[in-house]
Amino acid sequence: MPQTPMPPMSMFRTAVHPGLWEHKGKVAAVGVGHEGTARRWDGTAENCIGAWSIAACRKAIADAGVNPADVDGIVLDTSTTTGAHWPAGREIPMDVVQKFNQTDDPLDGIAQLSGEWMVKNMPELTNVKYIMTGPGCMSACIVVAAQAIGDGLAHTCLVLKSWHNLDGRYYQGGANAEPTISGNAKWTNPWAGPASLGTATQFQRYMYKYGKSHDMMAPFMQNSRHNGLMFPEGYWAQHRPEELPAEDYINARWVAKPANLFDNDIPIMASAAYLFTTAERARDMKQKPVYILNHARDNLVARGFGGFPTLEECEEACANVGVRLHEGAGIKPDDLSFENMYDGFSLFHVFHLEGLRTHGIGLGDALDAFQGDISISSPFPISPSGGNIGSGRTRFWKHTDCIQQIQGRAGARQISVPANIGVSGGPMPTGGNFTVWGSSPD
Amino acid sequence: MYTERTRGLIWPRTPLHADAGSHSEGFTLELPGGKFLISFDIDGTLELGDPPGRITTEMVQRARDLGFLIGSCSDRSATSQRAIWERMNIEADFIALKHMLDDVKTRFDVHRYLHIGDRDLDQMFAEQAGFDFLWEHEAYTEPWLDWLEGNGAVPASEQ
Repeated sequence: MPQTPMPPMSMFRTAVHPGLWEHKGKVAAVGVGHEGTARRWDGTAENCIGAWSIAACRKAIADAGVNPADVDGIVLDTSTTTGAHWPAGREIPMDVVQKFNQTDDPLDGIAQLSGEWMVKNMPELTNVKYIMTGPGCMSACIVVAAQAIGDGLAHTCLVLKSWHNLDGRYYQGGANAEPTISGNAKWTNPWAGPASLGTATQFQRYMYKYGKSHDMMAPFMQNSRHNGLMFPEGYWAQHRPEELPAEDYINARWVAKPANLFDNDIPIMASAAYLFTTAERARDMKQKPVYILNHARDNLVARGFGGFPTLEECEEACANVGVRLHEGAGIKPDDLSFENMYDGFSLFHVFHLEGLRTHGIGLGDALDAFQGDISISSPFPISPSGGNIGSGRTRFWKHTDCIQQIQGRAGARQISVPANIGVSGGPMPTGGNFTVWGSSPD
Repeated sequence: MYTERTRGLIWPRTPLHADAGSHSEGFTLELPGGKFLISFDIDGTLELGDPPGRITTEMVQRARDLGFLIGSCSDRSATSQRAIWERMNIEADFIALKHMLDDVKTRFDVHRYLHIGDRDLDQMFAEQAGFDFLWEHEAYTEPWLDWLEGNGAVPASEQ
C-alpha cells in the first residue's frame, strides 16, 4: 500500500500532568458525513469502502458548507479492519479496482485505504498538502487532526475512518491464519482465546474485587442498544431494529466468560468523516462549531502476561487519562455533561467511565451507576451514542454523537441536559486516544 | 432468577398451541417413520438469515405441515428469533439459543433430532446434544422428506 505518513509521537499528549492544551478552543469540528452501514461488502464498486469513504468526505464537506478547494488536509486510518483481512490467494475483483483511480496496491479502496487513493479519487480536493495517518481508529485521527490544525500544519482538514467487512468469519484470517506466530502474539494466540479474552480476564478480576456480577451490565447494554436504535446511520437501526432486553443479554452464549456474544461488538462496514478547521474559520461555516478543548493519550506499558494488561493497569491507565483530560481542558470532572467512552468490548466501558471520576462514579461504582437512570433523559447520560453496542463495530459513533449533541443535532438521541462538554475516545483502556469537546472555546 | 441451568432456553415455557391440530410440547403425532424434530440455525442457513442461506421459508413450512416439530437454535437473541418466525409467518414449536440444543432434546421425546447449520459451532453443539447434523448446503434438498417413507426412524433397539 502507498505510504501515508505516520504522525510523530510528539503530537500525542501523554504527560501525567500535561498542563492546559496550548490549542484549547482553537480547533473546531463543524461538518459530519456518514456513508453506508452494512454487515458485509456486497462486492460492488458502489459499495466498496473506497466509494463510501469518498461519499462520507463529500457529505462532511457539504455539511460544513466548505468549498472543497479550501480543504488542505486529510487525516485517515489506512487500515479498514481489525479482523476481516483479504484472504491470501483470493482473487481481487479488478472490475471494481478499475472503477477508480488506482495506486500501486489493487486492494486500496477495497480492503484498505491510503491518503493517496483518497486524493486521487476526489479531484475536487485540489489543495491538500497535509496527509497523515491516524493509526488504529477515529480516536487517533481526531487527535492528529486537532493537533495538526492547532500547530498550523493545516487549516481545513478531513478526518476519515472507514471499516470494510468481508464474508466469512471475523478474526479468522490475517496473522490468525498463519501456521506460526511471531511477536507479542506468541504469548497469547496459542491459547486460542477470542479477541475479548483480555477484557474478559480483567472483568472477571473486577467482579471479584468489587463484589459485582455480569448481570449488572444488562441496563447499560439495554440503554446502549436503545440509544443506537435512535442513530439513523447505525447497523441495528437500519437492518435489525431490535431492542436488547436484559433476558436476551444475560442468556447469550459466552464467547470468553464473562464476555458474552453481546459484549463483543458486531463487525460491520461503514464510513464516517468530519470536517475540522480553526475556530476562526469555523465561525463562518454552516454548522455550529464544536470546540476541541483537549486531547490525551494513554501510554501505559502493560506488565501483564502476553501483553494483556491487568485490571489494576487498566484502572491506572484510565485514571491517568481522566486527569489528563480534565487538566488539559481546564475543567473539573463534574463539568462533563455526558460521556461517550469506547464500548467495544462493552465490559471495559466500566473502566473508562470510572477513570473519569465524574458524577460520583469512582472505582467499583460503574455497575451500581448502571442500575440507576443512565438514559439520555438522566442528569448525566451514559453513552448517549449507543456506541459500538448500539450501532456496530466502527469506533466512531461516540465521536459523531459528541459533535451532534453539542450542535443540538442529535435528533431523537438529544440529551435533556444542556450538552456543553462531552468526552469520547478509545479504543482500549490502555493505549487509547481521547478528546474533550465543548460548546464554548473557553 | 437467572441461573446457569436456565441460561439459554427461551421458548416456550408452556405449550404453544391449545388446539389439537397444532404442534405443542408433548406432541405425539406419529409419522410413518417415527417422530422427528428439526432445528434450524438462522444466519447462513435460513433464507431470511444474514447472510441468507438456502433453506427457504417454503421448506420450513412444508416440514411443519408434514408433522415435523420445527424450531430455531441460533446465536440470535430470543427477540430476534421470534421476529424471524413472525416474518416467515410460521409458528415454531421451540426457540432456543444455539448452546442449549440439549435442553430441546430433553423437552421433546422424538425418534430423531436434526440440527441444520452453517458453522462448525453448529456441528459442535449438535453433536454434543446428540442431534444429527446437516450442513446448510446438504440440507437444501430436504433429505428429511425421505424419513416419511420410513427411512429415518432410529431402530427400536436404539430407542
